Amino acid sequence: MKLSDSMAYASADEMIFGSAKKPVTTRRGLVIGGGLVIPEVVPHPRPGSEKDLRTLLREFERATGDILERCVSVGHPSVVVENEHVFQMTDDPSWGMEIAAQTTHQIDDYIEKYGIKAAYRSTVADIRKPDMVDLRNSDRTRKVLEAFDACAKYADIVSIESLGGKEVFDYSIIRNDITGLLFSQAVLGSRDMAWLWPQIVAIARKRGAVPGGDTDCAQANTAMFMAAGYISKDVPHTLAALCRAIAVGRSLVAYECGALGPGKDCGYENPIIKAVTGLPMSMEGKSCACAHSSLCGNVMAAVCDLWSNEAVEYHHMFGGSSPAVFAEILGYDTAAMNSAISLGYEKQYQACLVTSDRYRSLQGFILCPDNAWAIGKAVVDNNESYYSRARAAAITCAELMLADSQVRFTSFEKDALMGFAKELDSLPATEADFIDLCLKKYGKVKGFQPAAYGL
Amino acid sequence: MKDAMSPVPIFTRYDLTIDARRGEAARRISEDPLLQRVADCLVRGDEEGTATMVAEALRSRDPREVIDQSLIPGMKEVGRLWEIGEYFLPQVILSSDAMVAGITLCEERMGRAMEKKAKVVTHTAEGDIHDIGQAIVNALLRASGFDVVNLGADVPVDEVVEACRVHKPVMVTGTALMTTTMTAFPKIAARLKQAGLQIPFVCGGGAVSEDFVTGFELGVWGKEASQAPGMAEDALNGLGWSEMRAKWNG
Amino acid sequence: MTAAPATPPTARGRARLAVAMDLGTSGFRAQVLDLSSGEVISTAVTARHPLPGANVIDHLHFALELGVETAREIILQTVNQLIGLLHTGNGEVVRLAVCGNPTQLSLFQGSEIRDLAFAGPRKLKALGVEPPERAATVRPASEFPGLALPSGCAVIVPPAVRHEVGADALALIVRSGITDREETAIAIDYGTNAEMALLHRGRLFTGSAAAGPALEGQHIVCGSLAMPGTIADLIAEGDLHRLIVLDAAMQPAPGALVDLRKPAESDGAAGVPATKITGTGTIAAMDQGMERGLVVPPRILTGDRRLHFGDGIFLTEADVAEAGKAIGAVRAGYFTLLNEAGANVEDVRTAYLAGASGTYMDAIKARRLGLVPPLVKTVRHIGNTSLALARDLALEPEKLDALDALATKLRETHCLFAATKTFSRVYVLELSRWTEGMPMATYRDLLRQYGLPELPPVSGTPVVVHEAERDIEDHGRMGLATLQRVGLVVGLRLDGCTGCRACLDACPAGALALEGIFEPPTLSLTQALCNGVACRRCEPACPSGVFHLNAFFEATASRAAPIA
Repeated sequence: MKLSDSMAYASADEMIFGSAKKPVTTRRGLVIGGGLVIPEVVPHPRPGSEKDLRTLLREFERATGDILERCVSVGHPSVVVENEHVFQMTDDPSWGMEIAAQTTHQIDDYIEKYGIKAAYRSTVADIRKPDMVDLRNSDRTRKVLEAFDACAKYADIVSIESLGGKEVFDYSIIRNDITGLLFSQAVLGSRDMAWLWPQIVAIARKRGAVPGGDTDCAQANTAMFMAAGYISKDVPHTLAALCRAIAVGRSLVAYECGALGPGKDCGYENPIIKAVTGLPMSMEGKSCACAHSSLCGNVMAAVCDLWSNEAVEYHHMFGGSSPAVFAEILGYDTAAMNSAISLGYEKQYQACLVTSDRYRSLQGFILCPDNAWAIGKAVVDNNESYYSRARAAAITCAELMLADSQVRFTSFEKDALMGFAKELDSLPATEADFIDLCLKKYGKVKGFQPAAYGL
Repeated sequence: MKDAMSPVPIFTRYDLTIDARRGEAARRISEDPLLQRVADCLVRGDEEGTATMVAEALRSRDPREVIDQSLIPGMKEVGRLWEIGEYFLPQVILSSDAMVAGITLCEERMGRAMEKKAKVVTHTAEGDIHDIGQAIVNALLRASGFDVVNLGADVPVDEVVEACRVHKPVMVTGTALMTTTMTAFPKIAARLKQAGLQIPFVCGGGAVSEDFVTGFELGVWGKEASQAPGMAEDALNGLGWSEMRAKWNG
Repeated sequence: MTAAPATPPTARGRARLAVAMDLGTSGFRAQVLDLSSGEVISTAVTARHPLPGANVIDHLHFALELGVETAREIILQTVNQLIGLLHTGNGEVVRLAVCGNPTQLSLFQGSEIRDLAFAGPRKLKALGVEPPERAATVRPASEFPGLALPSGCAVIVPPAVRHEVGADALALIVRSGITDREETAIAIDYGTNAEMALLHRGRLFTGSAAAGPALEGQHIVCGSLAMPGTIADLIAEGDLHRLIVLDAAMQPAPGALVDLRKPAESDGAAGVPATKITGTGTIAAMDQGMERGLVVPPRILTGDRRLHFGDGIFLTEADVAEAGKAIGAVRAGYFTLLNEAGANVEDVRTAYLAGASGTYMDAIKARRLGLVPPLVKTVRHIGNTSLALARDLALEPEKLDALDALATKLRETHCLFAATKTFSRVYVLELSRWTEGMPMATYRDLLRQYGLPELPPVSGTPVVVHEAERDIEDHGRMGLATLQRVGLVVGLRLDGCTGCRACLDACPAGALALEGIFEPPTLSLTQALCNGVACRRCEPACPSGVFHLNAFFEATASRAAPIA
């Protein structure tokens, strides 16, 4: 497999929300990345509703119906509904399929009745926990692939948040161990995706669905959440930023295997992926505060094509059910962006979004379009291996943070960053040497099976 | 700066879309002009006209064809018009009556009854003569392709149970306006259960409350007559009374 | 036909009195009359009916479950209390004339009710019930065990037309004077059962539409029967509305100025305070909401989908549907009568509005909603005709003969709405109009398609005549007394009751109370507040399974001692 060697965008200036170099069109005719930002609403069932298929169907039926009804009520022209599978939907692929069938039936009804433009994304749960099963050869692995096949019959887009490398990541993150993080994300994560994704792409093509993408939610987001807000000190924000840069090397693999976008909303590395691939990306920020807090609420919208709420559990609010409420919020967010496009103010609007968060946090800083592009450039310029490109991304990320005088660190953050930079610099030049080193160092991590990664 | 009225769709006035569709002619049902005229009558709710046109069509067309290519798709079109708010309940009832008239003529020609989805037994409670709710349920069920065994109003408990034993319906319904008469429902449910007939028993109408109906086995509360076809579909798909109750009640 | 017995001799010098009583479904009203002058001495009314439930079906259901005798005893106890509130002084009551619908009169007499509870002939046949004739009777008080009147007092009960159309409908016809005129006219008593009579070319047609209790303010979230402190009307003042609230004397009086679109902080300075809204208030609200474009059935187009009348009183979309169905039943009813009589809507020149709702109802608003035919030239509010007829009979018992003759004649042209296709068709049109928002243009097209009379739009302004300014015109020189604590409160100590209050919480009417410090505590039920034996949310709520609603009524029967 050839690793990306060039940038889709000649410069960060070209990048803007709503437009991707390579838009995708779904089976229901929705164009993503074709000049408009579209809301992507993700409802989540209440705990207990998964006890049997009927109650779960009912829960999703309500949620999807509420979303579509609200979009039509307030005039949102287009919407993507996403379901992230609860365990049962993948563990018994017929559940995922029934829900996909029901949801798309509801969507088709609304398309027929009101002419709304809409699509459905089904995100299969990666139920292969690396410390429990062989990633490549287990019942759960087969179920994941079966679930893709079952859901791709109906869904417009299929996606996953794959878990390769998670066992070593969890071990490393609590030790603030940058070598382990690089190994888990860049080497293990990438190798697992390179095994998994060609199969997903083949299934999606066969069924007429768009193979969307993958995110490093399990790892880079874990680091981001642990770093949390200003007051938390469990994981330095500098480390979380480096994890994000490293994640690019990993998440790119899906697209190198044939995924077409839109990438999944929770991939905060997506601005960088978009700079490299030119594919449309879903992103999330302020309007996903229902799912988690972040320090990059506005900047994430700067180059998004879909704008998402990540996940909101079904509840009743004064303004209606939570999925309806979030459909309304996201739609208004996108209407403002689309109005900016319409008025020719899109770069000015983007500047507002970027400025709002550029120096709020390091995560936000490195995801500003210019920095995102620069990290992407490091990735494609160092495409000898998964390892080399991820390491280059991390080093460039550190350099960008240190080079901007307006970036301010606490002494804890700064000390940590200098240490990580030194460690990255001292690592072996080749992937083979790096793998040898890591197998010695992490071979005994609980649940880690090198063979599951072809090592 | 671009023109503010450039065609980027920032919002969609669905109300105007719907408005523009109001009064839209029903969609074309058949390429065959004769069958199209049958469907036109049905969609207009013209029972007499439908019967006349069906009789004329049967001179040159197969009854199966008349049913499958004009009566049933015509009724589907009425359902669509109802759903988009173009048609209202009384019009659906008129068209349903027209469809039944047309199908009856076709059945006479075929010499046998047309294959329907499944049977549903409907009745209005013993002692009650207020059967408007039941009439609506009957029309909507027929419009959705169910074979309605209509027991009428003021039906004794025994007769309802016997009809269920003979017809083996997927669902049975009971309507009552007066609380004095709804007390027959738990008796029917108990007798059905005794006879080993675990048929979902949908009860609704005027004074019939959810609490009352969910207080006995087999009972599923019907909030509105318009729910009947959806419930019958569920029963046809094998949902039991408790599953139907979980879905439609509470 | 029985003639009135000769008036029994009385002690010299004692005034001879008669009591007139209306046994209404929503409450009883009584007046005492001086037979020598014919004048009203005083009036007494109850705040509600003593039996559980809100309508005749609830009352019948109760009597079926607990026995007619139990129901009769409870009613009689309230009748006696009401007589006690009348100022009879040292006069002697020689006559009691009652009026009401067949259900109330049958329960009062303890006679057959099953033909009223079950309309279906097959069920009645299975039960072996032969529907009684319900002709007029005059019997001595001694034949009414427990009635607190001298044994020789004559009790006068007027006849019924058919099972669902009784003396109250006769009252409507007689008291409206509808038969005295040539023109086509309609008289309607707006209640749970809307009785109506149409006169066309010298023939009378009667019917009774099951409108449900919304027109009396029940089954409406913030609704109530007409009583002091309830909103009876709304008057537009610029962008706002003036509430018209019933004062302590049941007279409409100006209340607060409100914005229908939003709840208001209570304005201390503003008029008579309101707590609930009546059926006529609901009608006024629907009309004003529709006039302002705020109510577009089935929707209310305000921010919170409610129409507001100040602080904490509002109308919901469910209320719009509930009231809409009641309005629809009335219109379907008069349409059916018109069709039976071969008359057209525009033929109807005069409308007589009766009953408590008919008294306080703004005829112009009601007409816009469809409760009154659209082209009437005159609307006459005729008040509570039932009490008026009772008064007539108390003063002149010989009028009973004419009533019996009228009832016989009406049986020929009586229309059983539930059995007619016209009623069913128009009712479905109404259902669609109020719950699906079907436009009136489609409504009219469909009437044409059915071959029914045309429904012209409302036009012109009718002359409105208030023959009665209030529900009961003359309270008498000794004034009005209201019986607030109606019916019985029965306390029971149930073995196994833990006092957990689950039954109290489950009761939607707040009819239960928990008292006492002993184990088990005393649970008490205010019978008149109970929603009826069809509700029973209290029973399954009991975690110990010891709560049985009937026990609170059976206790009545065993305990009720005859009152001398």
